[in-house]
Amino acid sequence: MSTRQPTAGTTARPPVRVVLVDDHRMFRTGVRAELTEAMGAAGGPAVCDFVGEAPDVDSAITVIRAERPDVVLLDVHLPGGSGNGGVDVIRGCFGVETPAGAPVRFLALSVSDAAEDVIAVIRAGARGYVTKTIGARDLITAIRRVADGDAVFSPRLAGFVLDAFGAAAGEIAEVDEELDRLSAREREVMRLIARGYQYKEVAKELFISVKTVETHVSSVLRKLQLSSRHELTAWAMGRRLL
Amino acid sequence: MCAAVARHLGLSTRVVRWTFVILTFIGGAGVVAYAFLWALTPEGDLADAATDQVAVPSDRRQWGSIIVIGAALVLVGGVLVLPVLGGSLIGSVLVPLFTIAVGAIVAWSNLDDAQRSRWLDSGSGASRFGWMRVALGVGLTVAGILVLVTRGESFSAVWDALLAGIAVLVGALIIAAPWALRLWGDLRREQVASARATERADIAAHLHDSVLQTLALIQRQSGDAAAVTRLARAQERELRSWLYDGPQGSQSTLAAAVTEVAHEVEDLHGQVIDLVVTGDRPYEPHGAALAQAMREALLNAVRHGGAPVTAYVEIGPSGVEAFVRDRGVGFDLEEVPVDRLGVRQSILGRMERHGGTARVRRRDDGTEVELRLPPLQGEQP
Repeated sequence: MSTRQPTAGTTARPPVRVVLVDDHRMFRTGVRAELTEAMGAAGGPAVCDFVGEAPDVDSAITVIRAERPDVVLLDVHLPGGSGNGGVDVIRGCFGVETPAGAPVRFLALSVSDAAEDVIAVIRAGARGYVTKTIGARDLITAIRRVADGDAVFSPRLAGFVLDAFGAAAGEIAEVDEELDRLSAREREVMRLIARGYQYKEVAKELFISVKTVETHVSSVLRKLQLSSRHELTAWAMGRRLL
Repeated sequence: MCAAVARHLGLSTRVVRWTFVILTFIGGAGVVAYAFLWALTPEGDLADAATDQVAVPSDRRQWGSIIVIGAALVLVGGVLVLPVLGGSLIGSVLVPLFTIAVGAIVAWSNLDDAQRSRWLDSGSGASRFGWMRVALGVGLTVAGILVLVTRGESFSAVWDALLAGIAVLVGALIIAAPWALRLWGDLRREQVASARATERADIAAHLHDSVLQTLALIQRQSGDAAAVTRLARAQERELRSWLYDGPQGSQSTLAAAVTEVAHEVEDLHGQVIDLVVTGDRPYEPHGAALAQAMREALLNAVRHGGAPVTAYVEIGPSGVEAFVRDRGVGFDLEEVPVDRLGVRQSILGRMERHGGTARVRRRDDGTEVELRLPPLQGEQP
């Protein structure tokens, strides 16, 4: 996994620098307002600092290269580029690093639950996928988590993973390193996330630390990105063309 | 080639092959027909505009050879026609009748079923190519009738006349084939374009019926937050399933039934339920019981629990597991009055009657109901 930013206590942390990419201006305004309000209500230092916005693929790449933010909130469907929306932005920003030396991380934000979109953007390199109906507090948690280099899985994404890796059908990896299947523990974590559990609830349920949960989720994300499991793409396409 | 013709006419391949062989013995008509069909039969139906575009250049390359063959046939026909000024009546009844039949088949056979019916329906329209086909058929038929009516003294003379007539007509048609093919291509492109227009109209109609109506309703009820949420959620779901799932079939699988139940509860209470389903299996009485028990659990969660309500259903070879979770204060099974049927009967009792189990867990911040069913008979864990 990538290098983690130093976590020197929550109060001393600088705010996460965020670029918001979405083709709907109303949505961008709404997200900013909602997050600012939620951060104000929570008190303490600001968690996020919005440093830029972009409505399409090409301006998004320009803004991200200029600002080098910690996290990009990325809509999956965007105009411009070669027509692949968020996937094009991620590809176009390959290798861009924050001033601190960490890679720029992407959190996909979409109205679409289509498996094809989810799998495509995750495999392009996004570190998480949440739907636009997510609450402000959950979104702040997700942004922070992605900034830390961890993965953010929504219940639906967990469900997709269980389905796509055949874990729901009982296929379990013998060793953790196997890319094409989930380990028994990863499967347990995914199942609990699919059931709507927060990371800390998962940790409590399985008697492990939140840190371990994050490790498992990151490992699943890596498998999702690197696996050559042939069903994965076909499965996502099949979902689309059902 | 014979197989293709057989498929096109709906006859067995053997019949078509023998027909060609017999035709070949009767003056070589089979060979001519074979060559002609081989040159003109389309490789396969055009799937869409893209293959249509690709197909056109290759057609153009074929045209050169078609024109050469056609010209040769016209020459042969002309040569054969000259000596045949008198024919025989003997055998000149069956053969012309056969020619008439061939004419009719040619006129009709290359029209697809759809086009045939459309042609029968309207008679007019853009099917100029249909007219070409009919013209050929009529030509052959007329030739047959002419041979039938005109006197012919010897069998061979009549046969020569017939052959000559066919050759001339076929040659003329082959010369006309390039134009016919181009017209045909134009027609197909028009059809694709009109199909697209129809599709766009369908989408517009759907958006109007669903999204625009809902937006109007939302504007009218903008004061009522619950109603707005409910309307927006129901519309979102409807649009989502229309966009991503395609036309819905019957609710014959457990996953579909469970989804249906969750949507129903959402509509009843205007509360969003985050449902995730993995796997699937056929819908049967045990699954139906699980869906009903889950409905009850969802209703409880929505009524007594707090948002967000999440539900997860895993359908796998080792059985079905369903979880319904809310973030409310929760309820204690012991505190539920005995006369309240909800949890006890609808959830616990129902699952046990169907060989499953149900468990209600109180958590720090809400309640979770777990439902389990064993695998179906014949499936091994």
